[in-house]
Amino acid sequence: MRIDRSQRAWAVASLVILAASAAVYVFYAVNSPQGPRGGSTIGLAFGILGFAFMIFAGLLGARKRVPVWRLGRAQAWMRGHLWLGLLSLPLILFHGGFHFGGTLTKVLMWLLIITVASGVFGAVLQNYVPRLMTADVPLETIYAEIGNVRTLLREEADKDVEALCGSLGLSKGAQDAGQRAGGFTAMRSMTTITTTGGGAAVAAATEILLLSEEESAPLRRFYLNEMRPFLELPKQRGSRLANADKARNAFTGLRTLLPPAAHATLEDLQDICDEARQLSRQELLHHWLHGWLLLHIPLSLALILLGAIHAVMALRYSS
Amino acid sequence: MARTRTTKKLAQRIDLNYFKRPSPYKRAKFWLRLLLPLLALTWIAWRTFAKDSRVYSSGRMSAAHAVLEKECATCHLQQAGVFSAKATDSACLSCHDGPVHHASQVKTLECATCHTEHRGRRNITAAANQTCAECHSDLRTNGGLPKYVAHISSLQDGHPQFAALREGQRDPQTIKLNHAIHLKPIRRGPNGPLVQMECSDCHRPAAVSAQWAYADTKYVTAKPTYTEEGELRAIKAETLAAHSPMTGRELMTPVKFATACASCHLLAFDKRFDEGVPHDKPEVVHAFLLKNFQEYIAAHPGDVRVVRDPKRDLTGKPIPPEVRILTPAQWVTERTADAEELLWRKTCNQCHTLTQANGSSLPQVQDSAPQVLAPLPQVAPSNVTTKWMPHAKFDHDAHRGFTCISCHEKALASTQTTDVLLPGIATCQTCHAPGPDHAESRCFECHTYHDWSKRKEVTPKFTLPSLRTGGR
Repeated sequence: MRIDRSQRAWAVASLVILAASAAVYVFYAVNSPQGPRGGSTIGLAFGILGFAFMIFAGLLGARKRVPVWRLGRAQAWMRGHLWLGLLSLPLILFHGGFHFGGTLTKVLMWLLIITVASGVFGAVLQNYVPRLMTADVPLETIYAEIGNVRTLLREEADKDVEALCGSLGLSKGAQDAGQRAGGFTAMRSMTTITTTGGGAAVAAATEILLLSEEESAPLRRFYLNEMRPFLELPKQRGSRLANADKARNAFTGLRTLLPPAAHATLEDLQDICDEARQLSRQELLHHWLHGWLLLHIPLSLALILLGAIHAVMALRYSS
Repeated sequence: MARTRTTKKLAQRIDLNYFKRPSPYKRAKFWLRLLLPLLALTWIAWRTFAKDSRVYSSGRMSAAHAVLEKECATCHLQQAGVFSAKATDSACLSCHDGPVHHASQVKTLECATCHTEHRGRRNITAAANQTCAECHSDLRTNGGLPKYVAHISSLQDGHPQFAALREGQRDPQTIKLNHAIHLKPIRRGPNGPLVQMECSDCHRPAAVSAQWAYADTKYVTAKPTYTEEGELRAIKAETLAAHSPMTGRELMTPVKFATACASCHLLAFDKRFDEGVPHDKPEVVHAFLLKNFQEYIAAHPGDVRVVRDPKRDLTGKPIPPEVRILTPAQWVTERTADAEELLWRKTCNQCHTLTQANGSSLPQVQDSAPQVLAPLPQVAPSNVTTKWMPHAKFDHDAHRGFTCISCHEKALASTQTTDVLLPGIATCQTCHAPGPDHAESRCFECHTYHDWSKRKEVTPKFTLPSLRTGGR
C-alpha cells in the first residue's frame, strides 16, 4: 500500500489521537506522586487502548484469510492496520510510563518495538520497491514460478545452441517443452540457411546443423562454460552475465567470432540472459518486499498472545 | 526471426496450480507463525510450572526489598476464592511498622501511595513531593487550625524560611561570644603569637576524634559539678525522631571551654599562682580560692605584712596605708575577695552572664578592701541550641566538602551572641533544587514522615534458607 494523499484522513486522525494522548499523559505524569504507572486508571486506559489497536492490527490477517467477509473494504483494513498499529507503540509507552518494567513487560515492549519497526520498514518498502520492480523487471512473472520459468529458459537456450552446434547432450528435444517455455524461438526454416565456412555442413538425420565444429567452438565454449552455469545458478557470483553491460560486451565479442548466420540465435540467447537476469532481480526485490513479513507476523502473534497474558496477570497482582 | 512474447505464450509457461505448491517462503511463514507464539506459550508455561511468578513482575524490587525478589507471595497474598493477589498494607506492616505521621492528620495514606515497589533498585523511602503535598499544600487538621505553614508543595514552592531565622528570632544562649573577633588574626596571650582560628577549632561533630588545637589537659580531664545537659536548650518533644541511627557526624556538639577556649582564656586569679580556677560553679571556684590562699599563707607567713602596691592605686578606690599587718584569716579573705572580684566581674563575666541570687546584676565595686566576702553570684545556664531545625534532619558530614564560611558567612561579621548564624533556606536552595544538575531537593531529604517514637516491634518471619531458595 502506497503512502500518499489518500492516507491523509487516517494520518490526521492518528496525529490527533497521538496529540490528545500525549497531552493526557503529560498532565497525568506531572500530577502522579510516584510517576506514571501502568496500573493507575489512566495507565490502564492507555494499555487497553494500545492493546485494542494491536488486536485490530492483528485482525488484518484474519480479514485477508476470509476475503468474502463484508466487514469494510480491504483498503480500509490495511490503512487501519498501518496507522492504528503505529499508534499502539506510543500508547503502550504511555501505559508503562516509558518504563520497560519486569521480564514479561520487557519482552512485550521489545516485541512491540520490533513489530512496529518492521511494519514501518515494510510500509516504506512497499511504497518504493513496486516502482523499482516495474522499472527494473518488465518481464516480471509470478514469484513462485520463477524457478520453473528459469528451467524453461535454460531448456530453450539448450535447444537453440544445439540447433547451431549439434547435440551437446543437454536438450530434452521435446518441442512441446520449448513451446511451454514460451515458444519464443520461432522454428526457423533450417534448410534455407547455408554454412558460410569452408567445412562441410554436418547434418544429423533429423536436423540441420548450421555451423561446423570449428565455427561453433566459441559458442559452445561460451555456452557450456558461462551461459548455462549462469542460467542454472544465477545467484553464483563472478558471472559476467549477471551484469547487463558485461553481458552485452560478451555477446558483442561472440558475434565477431561467429558467422552472421548464427547472429539471430545469439540475439535469442542474449534475450534469454536478460530475462534470467530480470528474474534474479525480481527474486531479490521480492525478498525485500515480503521478507520482513517473516519477522512481522510471527512477532505480532507472539505479542498479542503475551499481551493478553500480561493483561490478565497484571490485573491479578495490581487490581 | 527473433524471440517473440505474447501474453498467451507468457501465460502458457505458468503452472496454474502454482499457489497450491508450498514454497520456501510460504513454509517459513507458516512455521514461524506457529513456532514463535508456541515458544512464547512454552516459556510462560515453564515459569508457571516452576511456580515462578517473577516473570509477571512489573519491575525489579527496591534496594531494601531486593532480598524478596523471589518471594512474590510474601506481599502478594492471595485469599481463598479470590483471583486478585494485590499487595496490601497488611503485608507491609507484617514486617515493619509504619507509625502515623501526626495524630491530627486528616488523611491516612496507603503504604504504596508513597512507597511504590517494582520501580527498580531505588530507594523506596524516597517519596515524591506530591505525596507530602497531598496534605501540606493545603494543610488541615482534625482539631483546629494547623500550627505550621499551611501551603507547602516543595522546597521551592511554599517552603517558609527556617523558623530560627524568621523576623524577631534571636539566639537565646547566654554565652557572650564575638565570632567576628575570633575569626580575625588574634594574639594568643599578652605576648603570644598571632593565630588565625578555624571554625573547626571550636565546632566539631561528636564523632570527630582529631586533636583540639586550643584544649587544656587540666580542664579536659577535670570533672565539673555542672551537667552538660543542663546547659543545653531543650528540644521540643514534637520533633519526629529519625529512623536511621545517628552517626555522630551530623550535628556540631556544643562548644566546650576545656577543648576550645582554655588554652587562650586562662582563668588566672592571682599573680602568686600559675594555675587558673576550675571552670565550674561559683561555689566550687570559691572553695578552690579559699583552699589555695590558706595553703599559700601557711607556707608564706611573712606575706601577712601587706605593702601597698602603687600600681594598684585604682581610680575610684580609697588609697590604703603604705603597710598593713593582717591576720592569716584576714589575708585569705582579702585575697579571695580580690580574686573573686576579678573573676566575677571580668574573667567569668567576659563570657557568662552572672547575676545575684535574687536575679539582679552584680553590685558595684567595693570602696575599700573587703573584710567580708560578697555573696556568690549565679551563672545563667548557657542555653545552647544543639538543633536549630527540630523538624528536619541535617548532616554536616554530607556537606564536609564545603568550607564552613561558604554557608555560615554571617559568622564573619557577627558580633552579638544573639545573632542566629544558621544559613537561610536560600543557601540550601542554591544546591538543592529539582533536576539532574542539582542535589536532592525532595521533602524526605530533610524531613521524616513516620513518627518512629511510636513504632511497634514486629515478629521476624523469614529464615535464610527460605530466602535463598525463593521459598520453594
